[in-house]
Amino acid sequence: MSNFIEMIMRDLRNSIAVLLVFVCTLVFTSTMVSAEAPRGTITISKEAAGRIAIALDRTSAKGGRESELARSVDGTIRSGLDFTGLFNLLQAPANMRTVQGGALNFSALNSVGAEIYTGGTMTRQSGKVLLDMEVYDALSGKQLMKKVYSGAEGQVRPMGLRFCADLVELLTGKKSLLFDSRIVYVSNRNSISVCDFDGQNVEHLTSARTISMNPVISPDGKYLAWTDYSSGKPDLYIRNLATKATASVGKPGVSIAPAWRNGSDEVATTLSFEGDQEIYLVKPNGTISRRLTSSRGIDVSPTFSPDGSKMAFVSQRSGPPQIFIQDLQGGQARRLTFSGSYNTQPSWSPAGDKIVYSSVQKNGEINIFTINADGTGLLQLTRGEKYNESPAWSPDGSMIVFMSNRQGGKRLFVMNSDGTNQRPLLQKEGDQQQPSWSKGR
Amino acid sequence: MKHKFSGVAFAAMVLLAGCSSKSTISPADQAGAGSGSGAGAGSGAGVSAGADAVAGPVLSDIFYDFDSSALSPEAQEQLKQNAAWLKKNTAQSVTIEGHCDERGTDEYNIALGERRANSAKEYLTNLGVGSSKLTVVSYGEERPFDPAHNEEAWSKNRRSHFVTK
Repeated sequence: MSNFIEMIMRDLRNSIAVLLVFVCTLVFTSTMVSAEAPRGTITISKEAAGRIAIALDRTSAKGGRESELARSVDGTIRSGLDFTGLFNLLQAPANMRTVQGGALNFSALNSVGAEIYTGGTMTRQSGKVLLDMEVYDALSGKQLMKKVYSGAEGQVRPMGLRFCADLVELLTGKKSLLFDSRIVYVSNRNSISVCDFDGQNVEHLTSARTISMNPVISPDGKYLAWTDYSSGKPDLYIRNLATKATASVGKPGVSIAPAWRNGSDEVATTLSFEGDQEIYLVKPNGTISRRLTSSRGIDVSPTFSPDGSKMAFVSQRSGPPQIFIQDLQGGQARRLTFSGSYNTQPSWSPAGDKIVYSSVQKNGEINIFTINADGTGLLQLTRGEKYNESPAWSPDGSMIVFMSNRQGGKRLFVMNSDGTNQRPLLQKEGDQQQPSWSKGR
Repeated sequence: MKHKFSGVAFAAMVLLAGCSSKSTISPADQAGAGSGSGAGAGSGAGVSAGADAVAGPVLSDIFYDFDSSALSPEAQEQLKQNAAWLKKNTAQSVTIEGHCDERGTDEYNIALGERRANSAKEYLTNLGVGSSKLTVVSYGEERPFDPAHNEEAWSKNRRSHFVTK
C-alpha cells in the first residue's frame, strides 16, 4: 500500500501533538486529554470523553471525473471513521470556504459544535489521483495535519482509508491497525471468504463445497489455515496465499480449530491420531513440531498471548468445557474460567490483558464475555440475543467480531471491546460464521 | 427389546432402510431404541413391507446426553443389536458418524462427535466386530438430523449414526 502514498509532514507530528495537547488542555481540561499520554503524542480517552466531534467537509474537486472520485472518497472516509465508534461525524457548514483568498471560515463551525475540522481537494495529474487532506483544530483554526495521498483511480478507497488511519493516529496517539485489516470467515458452511475490516471487498479463498471451518490467517499474512472435509473427514489445510501451495497434516482422526502462535510460523491445532484429542504445534508444511497438551478428554481451541509464550485453550480435564492457560515452557495449566458451566472459544487480546470467549448459559443463550488473563474482571458483552459465538479481536484490540443468529441466520457482527455498538458487519444472504480478524499486509 | 425385531416395527425399519442407499433409520422411528419405550416405534408405518425389502441393513442410531459421549443402557442395548447384525454380515463395512446438537460451539462439537463415534466403535469391537470394518467420522453440529431449535430436536441430533458402504 505504501508504494502509492506519499507521506509528508512527518516532522511536524511532534509539534502538532504538543500544540493540540496545549489547546485541548486549555479548552477541554476535564474531557479530552489523558495526562499519561506518552511524550510526543496525544491520547484522547474514549471512555472519559465520549466521541470526538469532527466536521467532515466535502472534498472539493473541479471537473466531472474528479467530482465523482471526490464523492467516492468522502463516502469511504465517512464510513471508515464511523466504523471506529470513536467519532461523532458532523456535516461541515456550507460557508466554511466562503472567505476571500481560500482561507477557512472557522467561525462558521461555532454553531456545529465540532472539535476537529477536515477537508481536502481531489485533483488528477498525469494519470494519478491526488487527494490533498487537511485537518484543523476547529476551535483555534490551527492546522494539525496536511498530507497528500496519491494513487491510481482504482485506489481511491485505500487512499481514503489511509487518511482515516492517519487521522485516528493523530487524535488517539496510537497507530491504527484497523483500516487495512481483513476478516476471514466461513460462507454457507462450505467455503472460506475474506472481506475488508468493514465488510467491503468480499473475496472467496476456497471453494471446497464441503464442510469448511475456522479459517485463520498467519500473523505475517502469508498463510491461511482452515479445516474442511474434502478428504471425507475434518482435516487441517495450510495454504501459502501467494503460491497457493497447500499442505495438510494427513493424520488419522480429526485436525481442527487452528490458531497461529504469535512470534512463530507455527499453527496450533487439535489432532486425535494418538487416540485422545490433544493440541499440537504444526509447521506450515504440515509436519508436527510438538505436542502441547496431554490430558484425558478434549483439548481444543487454542489461542496465544501476544508474545506466543502462553496458550489459552478449552479442556474437559475438570469436567464440562472450561478455559485454561498454560505456559509453553512447561508447568501446570491454570483454570481461567469458573463462572458458567460451558465456556469455549477463547481469543487472547492483542494487548495481552484480556481473553474473550463464549459461554453456553442455562437460559439457552450463548453469550460472549471478556475476562482478564489473571481471572479477574469478568464482563458480559452480549445478552438476550440468542446464540453469540466465535468472538475474535480486531488487530488493534478496539473491536470484536463474532457470529450471532439474533436476526435469524448465522451472521457476522462487530462490537466495541466493551460490548457497545453491536451491529451487523455484512449485508449478505446465507450463513456467515467463525470469523477471525487479521492484520493488513 | 426383543419385540423390536418382530412385527410392524421391524417391517417399518426394513422398509425405511430399503428406501435409501444409506442406512437411514430415523431417530423418530427408532425412539424405542434410544429411550427404551419400545412399543409403538414405527407404528403406522411399514404396512406394505415386501419380502424383497429384507436385504437392507438394520443398524439403528444411538443417542447421548448433552456434552456426553457416555453410552446409556439403551445405547448399549442398541449397539448389541447392531453388533449381532454386523457379525452376521461380515462383508459389510460401516462408517460411524458422530453428531452433536447445535448448542455448544462448532469446533468443540467436532471433538465431542468424534468421542461419541469412538465410544460406539469401541463397544462394537469389544463385542467382537472387526475394527477394520469400522470407520469413524465426526460431523459435530454440522449435519443435524432435525434442524429445529428445541430439546426434542436436540435429543435426536446427539447421536452416532451408522452408514453401510
